[in-house]
Amino acid sequence: MKKTKYLNPYVGGVLLGLVLLAANFIAGRGLGASGALKSVVVEAVDVITPKHAENAAFYKEYADKHPDGPMKSWLVFEMLGVVVGGFLSGAIAGRLKFKVEHSPKITSKRRLVFAVLGGILFGFGSQMGRGCTSGSALSGMAVLSVGGFISTAAIFGTAYALAYFVRKNWI
Amino acid sequence: MGPLLPNELISNNTNFLLAFIIGIGFGFVLEASGFSSSRKLAGVFYGYDTVVLKVFFTGAIVAMLGMLFFSLFGWMDLNLVYINPTFLTSVILGGVIMGAGFIMGGFCPGTSVCAAAIGKIDAMFFIIGLFIGIFIFTEGYPIWEHIYKAKFLGFPKLNELIGISQGFFALLLIIAAFAMFWLGEKAEKAFPREEY
Amino acid sequence: MNPRLILAAFIITLGLIIAAVPENTTKQYKLTANQLLDEIKSDMQFISTDEVADMIINKDPSIQLIDVRSPDQFEKFSLPNAINIPLVSILSDEWTDVLDQDVKMNIFYSNGTLDANEAWMITRQLGYENNYVLQGGLNYWAETIMNPKAPKSTSPDDEFAKYDFRKGASAALGGATVSNTGNTSKKSTKPKIKRKKKKKRAAGGC
Repeated sequence: MKKTKYLNPYVGGVLLGLVLLAANFIAGRGLGASGALKSVVVEAVDVITPKHAENAAFYKEYADKHPDGPMKSWLVFEMLGVVVGGFLSGAIAGRLKFKVEHSPKITSKRRLVFAVLGGILFGFGSQMGRGCTSGSALSGMAVLSVGGFISTAAIFGTAYALAYFVRKNWI
Repeated sequence: MGPLLPNELISNNTNFLLAFIIGIGFGFVLEASGFSSSRKLAGVFYGYDTVVLKVFFTGAIVAMLGMLFFSLFGWMDLNLVYINPTFLTSVILGGVIMGAGFIMGGFCPGTSVCAAAIGKIDAMFFIIGLFIGIFIFTEGYPIWEHIYKAKFLGFPKLNELIGISQGFFALLLIIAAFAMFWLGEKAEKAFPREEY
Repeated sequence: MNPRLILAAFIITLGLIIAAVPENTTKQYKLTANQLLDEIKSDMQFISTDEVADMIINKDPSIQLIDVRSPDQFEKFSLPNAINIPLVSILSDEWTDVLDQDVKMNIFYSNGTLDANEAWMITRQLGYENNYVLQGGLNYWAETIMNPKAPKSTSPDDEFAKYDFRKGASAALGGATVSNTGNTSKKSTKPKIKRKKKKKRAAGGC
């Protein structure tokens, strides 16, 4: 194998599996990411326009299901950990640096525009699909959920199908 | 014994603390495997870097095997573990939209947070996009509520759907994953590129 | 040797083992003899005839009455909406879905309590939750619900309340006719159900 500055992917995979196993063993649930961001959105709406949060359908339903408030959720604490863990790993490996990563063929601006557009789609899709790559695809597959497999196939299938059209951004 | 929280062996606050620690592990593994680099992530779609495929499926397999063995030894009651519900329409539609977002933005939510933590500005813009996307969903909820809740199939497991045991299904999944790893490594040799 | 191959061999081996061992081993014999004895001593499994009558009248959708007597006896008399699972076929696969679930509360009954209690012990030993026993069985049911006796005039108020409830239940369930005892006590006769606290599946979602 060629030399890499990163962890061997299979070792990384085993470690990721152990983390996911620990989450299931301790909390009885898998990992996730987009749920924590949703908590932030709901909390922000709650703080900025409390009236609106009381009336709009989604926030009402959300409040019914989360009586302790949006921020007191497992995923929020987990994602805070992710920030710390990612920072630690980057610090140890000497990868802490402000930069915009993009293919030499495109400008930083184009990269950032695509990042925001991709983020909007991913954010919307993760809510529609009840979870992102971590929550629905990875954790769902580990518990053999049909939804997890469909989600994995749909995410990766679409990305492969569209890869050709945005190849300039990456290669 | 496990899972600890549903069995009331730990309190909610302990659970949150452990969530934080699990998150640190999650973030560390993602970053150390190179998931903080969007070009590395996108590599899987062009064949020049299949690290996503390897880490993702190895992780799923290890966790799945771990849970099946824990259940076998009686350490963990799988009936208390959360199984993702399956809403056929929304899971396909959501997956397709996420796939498009993935190839355009180069991150998924978990990896973007992790990449932002080490200073990737494109990841921070991606997160801004995520907030906007989620906000659009929550604001327009009445418009797509019926799609969101359509075709609820309960909490099916794939092995039950095709009528085989969990263990046998796990074995098939392992073999399938190994086939994908083999293909991935071939692709990496076919489309070599320096590492980003 | 290549570390990747070692890892692959290790995972494949684990996969083969998990594919070869039978599933559902976690369900068997969840309780030790001591735990079972503790549960029996605490009488947690019993549900009184009044509670059951109340749930039947209110068409409580969360209960399932299970007659563990023979099919002959079941034909002659059974409680409303009860199903018949004779004690001898309690272990049959056919009934696993009914007995091992966490949606409804199953209530076993027989003429006395003996057979129903045996059914309860077997299912409890298998680790099934949510199964209960009708206290006193059909004999006590007939005595208290079908032909309730008026309490002595010196009895405390709630004895009368109970009697009123039983008279009403009896009428609703096809027993003797109603006659008010003249007791005006409006005390609620709705019995409290002592449901065990249930462990819930973890909540999740992304």
